[in-house]
Amino acid sequence: MEFFLIFLGAVLVNNFVLVQFLGLCPLMGVSKQVETSVGMGMAVTFVMTVAAAVSWLIEHYILVPFEIEFLQTVAFILVIASMVQLVEMFLNKMSPSLYRSLGIFLPLITTNCAIMGMALLMVQEQYTFIQSVIFGIGAGVGFTIALVLLAGLREELDYADVPVPLKGAGIAFIIAGLLSVAFTGFGGLV
Amino acid sequence: MRESLRMVLVLTVIAMVSAGVLSQVYQFTSPIIAENQAERMESGVFEVLENVDSVEFIDGPFVMFRAYDADGNPVGFAYAGEGSGYAGPVRVLVGVDHETKEVTGITVLEHTETPGLGTQIEEEDFRSQFVGKDTDDDIEIDTDIDNITGATQSARAVAQAVRENLSEAISIYEGENH
Amino acid sequence: MTRAKADFLRGLWNENPVFRLLIGLCPALGVTSTAINGIGMGLATSFVLLCSSTLISVIKNIIPAKVRIPSYIIIIATFVTIADLSMNAFAPELHRALGVFVPLIVVNCLVLGRSEAYASKMPVGLAAIDALGMGLGFTWALGALGGVRELLGTGELFHVQVMPAFFEPWGIMAAPPGAFLSLGFLVAIMNIISARMNKKTA
Repeated sequence: MEFFLIFLGAVLVNNFVLVQFLGLCPLMGVSKQVETSVGMGMAVTFVMTVAAAVSWLIEHYILVPFEIEFLQTVAFILVIASMVQLVEMFLNKMSPSLYRSLGIFLPLITTNCAIMGMALLMVQEQYTFIQSVIFGIGAGVGFTIALVLLAGLREELDYADVPVPLKGAGIAFIIAGLLSVAFTGFGGLV
Repeated sequence: MRESLRMVLVLTVIAMVSAGVLSQVYQFTSPIIAENQAERMESGVFEVLENVDSVEFIDGPFVMFRAYDADGNPVGFAYAGEGSGYAGPVRVLVGVDHETKEVTGITVLEHTETPGLGTQIEEEDFRSQFVGKDTDDDIEIDTDIDNITGATQSARAVAQAVRENLSEAISIYEGENH
Repeated sequence: MTRAKADFLRGLWNENPVFRLLIGLCPALGVTSTAINGIGMGLATSFVLLCSSTLISVIKNIIPAKVRIPSYIIIIATFVTIADLSMNAFAPELHRALGVFVPLIVVNCLVLGRSEAYASKMPVGLAAIDALGMGLGFTWALGALGGVRELLGTGELFHVQVMPAFFEPWGIMAAPPGAFLSLGFLVAIMNIISARMNKKTA
């Protein structure tokens, strides 16, 4: 039950993108088509789950025992950057077809603040190892949902008559705002 | 080969310099950070208890202070509690009277709630509801504490923070007194 | 216009990171519930940007191309941690308000983007000026966004009541959706002003 709450919290109530404002750069850049959004979402969810596990181990077996928590930011960003590299190499070897569909998104993920944010929040909330992994999956799924929803809406926008100054980014932010209003409604769930 | 050696060398040097610089900065700032936090906590004690003249730290599972008046008589104690708010943890400091073991006041130490909505937990109207509560009370939103419209989660976090440590804090305080 | 001046001004308007390039959006939306928070975040980011751009420009010839990105990341992360620790020590209130977004400067695409696209190729002086312009552009954008949200969301500006008493604060502006809505409309206003200016000069 507790794991379910953490998952639901990360997906809906505190949706990483729409409520916590993490991972916005890819949100605006990639969310023009549903298909690419799904690919990006999958890549992020994958890296996030792995990064949650590895960051947790680093925090609890290296940073805390040696009392070097002040190196947290440096350590986590390096973990994430190397995770992205490893995932890229691994996918290339093991599943070239998956690599082709996710490949272009992977380098972008290093600077996706949703992943770094997830690692920092996971430490702040003092999650256990299992909780952290579940939190990572939930955050990834939440990111994917927001991305795909926005992409779906933006695809329809091609046929809409949007005032000129709002075209492009302007209307996308306003749509994201309205989605965010909808997600506020999940506030009472947990 | 020479190129990869140079790559490793450069990265190692950068990482070493980084770690060196950061540990210097850390050693310089950490006492100031610790002092800031302690100061904030201690000044909170003066807010939640009356007639406080001096404050003494009590070691325990959570932060606690014992407070004395100008004549050195105990006036009560203050303890820190934490609840999970809308956007992150909400930390409060709760003052408890020496004699009656009733809450004398609370102050919000730390929160990241939504400005305009969740920040109402800092307001006197909300905080004053906790005054006079003791372990026999529910200390729960919508039973003996009024909710804040639009900020249920923030209000619940405060109630949780006050409620959870109250009885343990009292027993620690009494255990230390005897 | 000289090269340096153009480099400096670019970040302030035509290539404003938030309103034009749409980068560094997470802190732009995450911490701008008040004007002060927005400006504080902007200045912290400017500090990191200026320091890392300058340093990267100085040592750009020593770093082998293949380990360029990891080196930049370590350098940036170091300055972010310095900013984080110093703010915690000397501006604890602001540090608390900005929360997790201070360490997150490290993944702000603005910082790594400028390092890679500009500082790694340009001489030190220009790299520093570019970083300063981009940093200030980021700061005013965050300040403006924070100001609008604070004004409409709470009726205050810099924590001083400015709206008349009958003004009922729009709670939504302070809440997460308000961040998206304000940014959407500010981008549109920027577009209108730019279109006007271009018409005049044309």
